[in-house]
Amino acid sequence: MRVLIIDDEPPAREELRRLLGAYEDIEILGECANAVEGIAAVNRLSPDALFLDIHMPRISGLEMLSMLDPDRRPQVVFLTAHDEHALEAFAESAFDYLLKPVDPERIDKTIRRLRAAHAPSPALFEPARPLTSIPCSGQNRVYLVKLADIEFVVSRSSGIFVVTGAGQERFTELTLKTIEERTPLTRCHRQVLVNPEAIREIVFQESGAAEIVTNAGARVPVSRRHLALLKERLSIA
Amino acid sequence: MEQSLALSFNLMMQTCGYLVVAYLLSRTKLFLPFMRVTVRLPHRIAAYVVFSLFCIMGTYLGLEIDESIANTRAIGAVLGGMLGGPVVGFFVGLTGGLHRYWIGGPTALACTVSTIAEGLIGGFFHLWFTRHGRIVKVFDPFTVALGTFCAEVVQMIILLLMVKPFAAATHLVGQIAAPMLIANTLGAGLFMSILLDRREALEKQSSVFSAKALKIAARAEGALRGGLDRTAAGRVARIIYEETGVGAVAISDREKLLAFIGVGDDHHVVGMPISSRQTLEAMEKNVVLYADGNEVDYQCSIDPHCPLGAALVMPLLGEEERVIGAIKLYEPKTRLFSTINRTLGEGIARLLSAQILAGRYEAQKQLLTQSELKLLQAQVNPHFLFNTLNTLAAVVPKDPDRARQLVQHLAVFFRKNLKRPSQEVTLEDEIDHVQAYLEIEKARFAGNLDVIIDIPPEFAEVRLPAFSLQPIVENAIKHGTSQLIGKGEIHITATRVDDDLVIDVADNAGLHEGGERPVGDDGGLGMKLVARRLETRFGPPYGVSVRCERDVATHVSLRVPLEMREMRAA
Repeated sequence: MRVLIIDDEPPAREELRRLLGAYEDIEILGECANAVEGIAAVNRLSPDALFLDIHMPRISGLEMLSMLDPDRRPQVVFLTAHDEHALEAFAESAFDYLLKPVDPERIDKTIRRLRAAHAPSPALFEPARPLTSIPCSGQNRVYLVKLADIEFVVSRSSGIFVVTGAGQERFTELTLKTIEERTPLTRCHRQVLVNPEAIREIVFQESGAAEIVTNAGARVPVSRRHLALLKERLSIA
Repeated sequence: MEQSLALSFNLMMQTCGYLVVAYLLSRTKLFLPFMRVTVRLPHRIAAYVVFSLFCIMGTYLGLEIDESIANTRAIGAVLGGMLGGPVVGFFVGLTGGLHRYWIGGPTALACTVSTIAEGLIGGFFHLWFTRHGRIVKVFDPFTVALGTFCAEVVQMIILLLMVKPFAAATHLVGQIAAPMLIANTLGAGLFMSILLDRREALEKQSSVFSAKALKIAARAEGALRGGLDRTAAGRVARIIYEETGVGAVAISDREKLLAFIGVGDDHHVVGMPISSRQTLEAMEKNVVLYADGNEVDYQCSIDPHCPLGAALVMPLLGEEERVIGAIKLYEPKTRLFSTINRTLGEGIARLLSAQILAGRYEAQKQLLTQSELKLLQAQVNPHFLFNTLNTLAAVVPKDPDRARQLVQHLAVFFRKNLKRPSQEVTLEDEIDHVQAYLEIEKARFAGNLDVIIDIPPEFAEVRLPAFSLQPIVENAIKHGTSQLIGKGEIHITATRVDDDLVIDVADNAGLHEGGERPVGDDGGLGMKLVARRLETRFGPPYGVSVRCERDVATHVSLRVPLEMREMRAA
């Protein structure tokens, strides 16, 4: 079983690594110190299970869960030092939760349950909360970019970038699919999501494709395939 | 000559009658407007009416000589003009003159003209003094006498000019000039001094009253802040007793006597239950009761031989106008209750009621802060404790020595935490508290947290309320550096600003007022409480201020006096 440890406190990660080391069938893929690193690692490594701390900088473990790509949802075991989050965690379809400091007997039970469980039922994740902002990484910090400030999100070879009305481009670990599902942003191209609120005009082209001009004047391509859907979404005949 | 003297004397006697009327009238409210120079129309009309009446009365109280009248009409006309101005003077003169004309006689027309002239002369005096900014002179009896004298001289000249034949005129003037000059001049001067006396008496009474009231208010300031108990009641009763000079003062709560000072303290013993009918009734109905021993019967309910003969009972009010006790002022049977003391007594009761209310409010506010603080400590510690235990669990197997150190820091932290927030400690104490806390947090964030404490040793002994600094530092970590992906830095510095010490706690996150994630956080309650405590303890400009450079740094500054003064609310 391939697992990932996500916790902002190094001693907590060490402790968990020590506890999990007792199980031969558990492979620790890595450790992450915050939710942004966590999302990236999940997208990159597709682990079977996460040991996820709830209290983390800027984006909590609970919030991180709703930012995961719906196609790559691992089993989630929450960890918290305060049990007040337990009920909320289960509402978010956690597989299990552990109280810190972790009792070895208790984690044993969790491991047995993980072994017994098969792939997580996708239905479990459905009632995830919509996102109100997109976490973007910056130097030494996480920026939470509000949806209203976003004009479009574009996928490039170097990654996914959020472009704001002010013209700023910020890198995010979230996949286009996650953003499409969890926000009102609409797909207009295989590699682009546009914020309907930011569309100023749509220029139709002879090829059957189109181009969106945003409020800030940026030009965003619309593919033929997505134009019909976009028109339908915007109630244009 | 002899006749002239007799006439003067007679006219003087008449003037006395006139002044008696003036004196009596000066005791009424009718005269209040004339004590000051006024431009208001109603006051001028009042002046016109009153002085016209005096003018007419002057005619009636005159002495008839050869079909003309030696009179004191001039007093009314001149005073009307002096106090009311030329317009009032003219109309008073006109009214008095027309009345004289209506009586008739050979000098009727001359008298009418001269009375108007007299009113105008008074008015010109008024105008002259007003223009020269010496309006107080108008109230000077000598000025008034002089004005009247001039007016009389003018009248005599008018009589000489207008009465025909001239021989009759000289005869008449020869007879009445001296008596009228003397009587009117003296009469007007005396009239004015009657008015002055009255004004002085009124002012003196009100200034004595205000002085007493202010003195009591100043002495009793804050006396009942802490509520109504024996010590406070005793102090207040002593103040009232000394300042009002009444026979005795008593203060009680709803059940028993809390303080008694003065005549009859041999049998009015502190602690005894209330037995007086008046006191019970005053508290029951929330009314001020006055038993003077004449109209309302008063008898001491304890001892029939009690020398006290009159009592004023005033209820003391607490929250929501509820009666919480009573104040009683007594005078012995041998003395009368002065009106000043009665009014003053009621004022004192209101003042003390307001104080009790203010005290209650303050106490509740403090209580609230204390309990909020306790709540905060109770809330924060489990979080912190669990986190620390978790860190320890990780450190123990790997590095037992380090774990032992951490346990040591944890012990220091909790020991300092147990200090009551109302205590005051030295800055060094607070730094120890903060350092113990930081050692544990540093272990938790392992290398991801740097702390620099740069406080000059000379500030080590500065005193401040316990538990002021740690919540600020905790805030800087919880809402600041712990939200960073990279390394967090906390900078604690202290600088002297004038006579104050400013302690600055800075983080490198700059997330204050971020408002992006208030969910589940305590929203800086700890900081707010520290701010409120410093403010209530020291008053402005002390307290907590926040300066945030977005995404760069948040500075939280505590300002405290270098020399801790007496606690304000103690």
